[in-house]
Amino acid sequence: MFSKKFVLVSMLVLALIVSACGGSQAVSEENVAETVSVVGTEEAEISGDLVIYSGRSEPLFQPVVDAFRAKYPNVNVLLKAGSNSELANALIEERANPQADLFVTTELFTIQSLAVQGIFQPYSPVGVENIPAEFVGADNLWTGLTLRARVIIYNKDLVSEDELPTSIFDLTQAKWKGQIAAAGSTNGGMQAQIAAMQQLLGDDATAEWLNGLIANDVTFFGGHTDVRKAVGAGEFKIGLVNHYYYHLQLTEGSNVGVIYPDQADGEIGLIVNATSAAIVNGAKHPQATQAFLDFLVSAEGQKIFAEQNYEYPLLAGVPLKEGVQPLANFRLADVNMVQASANFDKAFDLIEQVGLP
Amino acid sequence: MIVSPRLLISAGLVALFVAIPLIYIFIRAAGANPEDWQRLLQTRIWKLLGNTLLLTLSVTTGALITGVSMAWFTERTDLPARKIFRWLLAMPLAIPAYIGAIVHLAMLRPRGGYVPQFLANLFGQEIFTPSPFGFWGATFILTFFMYPYVYLLSAAAFRSLHASLEEAARTLGRNPLQTLFQVTLPALRPGLTAGALLVALDILAEYGTVALLRYETFSSAIFIQLSGRYDRSSASVLSGILVGLAILFLWSELRLQGQARFTQVESNWRPASLFNLGKWKIPSLFIVLGVVSISLLIPAIVLLIWSIQALLDPETLIKIFHTGSQGFGSYIWNSLWSSGLAALIAVTLSIPVALLAVRYPNRLSQIISRICQVGYAIPGVVIALSLVLLVNRFLPFLYGTPLIVVMAYVLRHMPQAVRSSESALKQLSPTLEEASRTLGRTSIQTMFQVTLPLILPGLLAGGSLVFLTSLKELPATLLLRPAGFDTLAVRVWAWATDGFYVQAAPAAFVLIFISALPLYFLLRREQIFR
Repeated sequence: MFSKKFVLVSMLVLALIVSACGGSQAVSEENVAETVSVVGTEEAEISGDLVIYSGRSEPLFQPVVDAFRAKYPNVNVLLKAGSNSELANALIEERANPQADLFVTTELFTIQSLAVQGIFQPYSPVGVENIPAEFVGADNLWTGLTLRARVIIYNKDLVSEDELPTSIFDLTQAKWKGQIAAAGSTNGGMQAQIAAMQQLLGDDATAEWLNGLIANDVTFFGGHTDVRKAVGAGEFKIGLVNHYYYHLQLTEGSNVGVIYPDQADGEIGLIVNATSAAIVNGAKHPQATQAFLDFLVSAEGQKIFAEQNYEYPLLAGVPLKEGVQPLANFRLADVNMVQASANFDKAFDLIEQVGLP
Repeated sequence: MIVSPRLLISAGLVALFVAIPLIYIFIRAAGANPEDWQRLLQTRIWKLLGNTLLLTLSVTTGALITGVSMAWFTERTDLPARKIFRWLLAMPLAIPAYIGAIVHLAMLRPRGGYVPQFLANLFGQEIFTPSPFGFWGATFILTFFMYPYVYLLSAAAFRSLHASLEEAARTLGRNPLQTLFQVTLPALRPGLTAGALLVALDILAEYGTVALLRYETFSSAIFIQLSGRYDRSSASVLSGILVGLAILFLWSELRLQGQARFTQVESNWRPASLFNLGKWKIPSLFIVLGVVSISLLIPAIVLLIWSIQALLDPETLIKIFHTGSQGFGSYIWNSLWSSGLAALIAVTLSIPVALLAVRYPNRLSQIISRICQVGYAIPGVVIALSLVLLVNRFLPFLYGTPLIVVMAYVLRHMPQAVRSSESALKQLSPTLEEASRTLGRTSIQTMFQVTLPLILPGLLAGGSLVFLTSLKELPATLLLRPAGFDTLAVRVWAWATDGFYVQAAPAAFVLIFISALPLYFLLRREQIFR
């Protein structure tokens, strides 16, 4: 067995060789690090790197980054996009040696469970008082940004009005066998939906639903873009997506429709989740990070999410993009966020147990 | 000769550096919570083992059949345009299998793929086409992007085979078919087992393709564990088993190789006579052309068309050119310098090991050389897991820099450098070095003034191989890269898995183009291309 010291010495030897060979590069990558400007908060004076771990896929996040960069031209945004849980794992791993400044995620369960573990530092972005209190983390450890609803997208050429599903439980009916596309188990939106359903209905009913989907030959893609495009192209009759994927597909000219499911009495209601952001404890570039989070919460930033992504902005007073149905029209599922995030691990257990692809 | 302690220590340190991640994974796997073992044994391990072994078996078989038959066509028959086909059959090595999978998915996806849609338009109704997903799809794709390993090795073997061997068989009354199976193929065996081993180890390590085609193997399951639940012990358990499997493969190849020896007298070698295809010429041409199309022409053409589409669409173009604040140029630069640095380090580290193993062959030096080749057995995901845990704990200043990615490349691709350096040294007579010492040069001077300049071509070949495979590497890069450090491979993957294939195409195209250059250099060294 190798002792720690042994390991350390040999790794050091390598590190020396490596840094001797690649020193100049490493320095230029690393030491560009922010020279904190103490004077004033003029936008141009905030400079240096800003490291963002984003669970949101790049195409949906890049517009707001671009707008921020236009305003703060001296900030160098370094984006690492991946799945929520992959980046959450990285944050936990890096706890003693933080690399990221800001974490952005597509649902609240991940961010809440990380907050409980002490990964984030409190910060109240400018204007946070205009965001509903339920979408701000305890002790201001995280801030909600936008809402998105889990809906059903369908191809109007292939499905007639009278045979439309009205509930996500209709998706296990035999008549849809092989006709449904959805995102798979590595997708944050899908994971959050499973966690929400576990809380609303219990493990057994959720497992039964998932098994029903699998038995119905649902095709699980890596992400929702594949789902919306496949439904738009008529490869599948219906798909399970977040509501804005319907709008994105519609803009591409496909003949698609949308169903906000589970509205009847006795049904679970519309499952909604929030994208959110938090500042990492030990963030190396606090000034740029705070400026960026302020920007995300500002009317300007929220408008980008609403206009370009068709999301529901959480900031009061920012209008919805034309064509997006207000959430007030629907009955929302009653999910206790704190409790669901405490049990988030069970969603992974269930995914593994039913073998969701 | 007495080994200089300096050489022994440097070679030993290199071996240690290579062995640590492996040992660490075994320690973590063995130390995992018994409950985790039990849960995994009950739920996952057997299915993953079955899936992984089945795929390894099917792809290795497929690659052997394809590789050997293609080699037979280009080396032993009068197939037209053999010279061109040799190049075309080897070039798929520049195409990472996951890029091949992306293209073939777009071609064959049920209902939505180009082929099913074309057929539907042609016949006015949906025509059944085989699905590219799952076991058969993965077998198909991986076979067509891995057979070149077997092709190159068996083509070289066909080429060097002495004509008299087969002539003797024919004289003794065997017909051509009997000769092929009883004499030629057995003589090819060393090359074939080596090729099969390369393919099998690659399948164990493969992540991108199986993930895209939704066929779960150990590698993809580990990746999901790493990016799923918040614990590392399940991933460690699965990694331990995967590495054990790879070592088993390595060991059995050693056993197989050890039993057979084929010696040939080099002096009166002459090429065996070519088989006259006769009326089979045209069908054979179609078969070879088919293989080349699937593995090279179709991917290249589709990527080219997508790239042109991307370049013509201003909106896509804007998206291609930046992520965060980074641009396309930085992806290329990152790919180049990280793979280049990895090649440099791997070759440098391989020199003491090779010197020791070749100049002072004994048990210890053999062991050190073997240890330096375990990288073959550690898939990218496992290296990533190991480095995340180790570096974070012991070398935190390296963590979060691109150097950790380079370190993964070095560990993973070290064997290629060691093997190249060893074979280059073997061809250099020690008398030259001895003469240099006699003339008063120190051992260090001798190394820099005599040995290294003379084995430089071999070192360059090893470096090119490390460079080429590092460029294509996906899972370790994905897991270890710091924010803002995107390589071409990462970009291709990120865009393609997000569903933006057209956007991913230019990066894929550039990646293949850059890979083709070192590959060209490497192939030029091969006997069959001289």
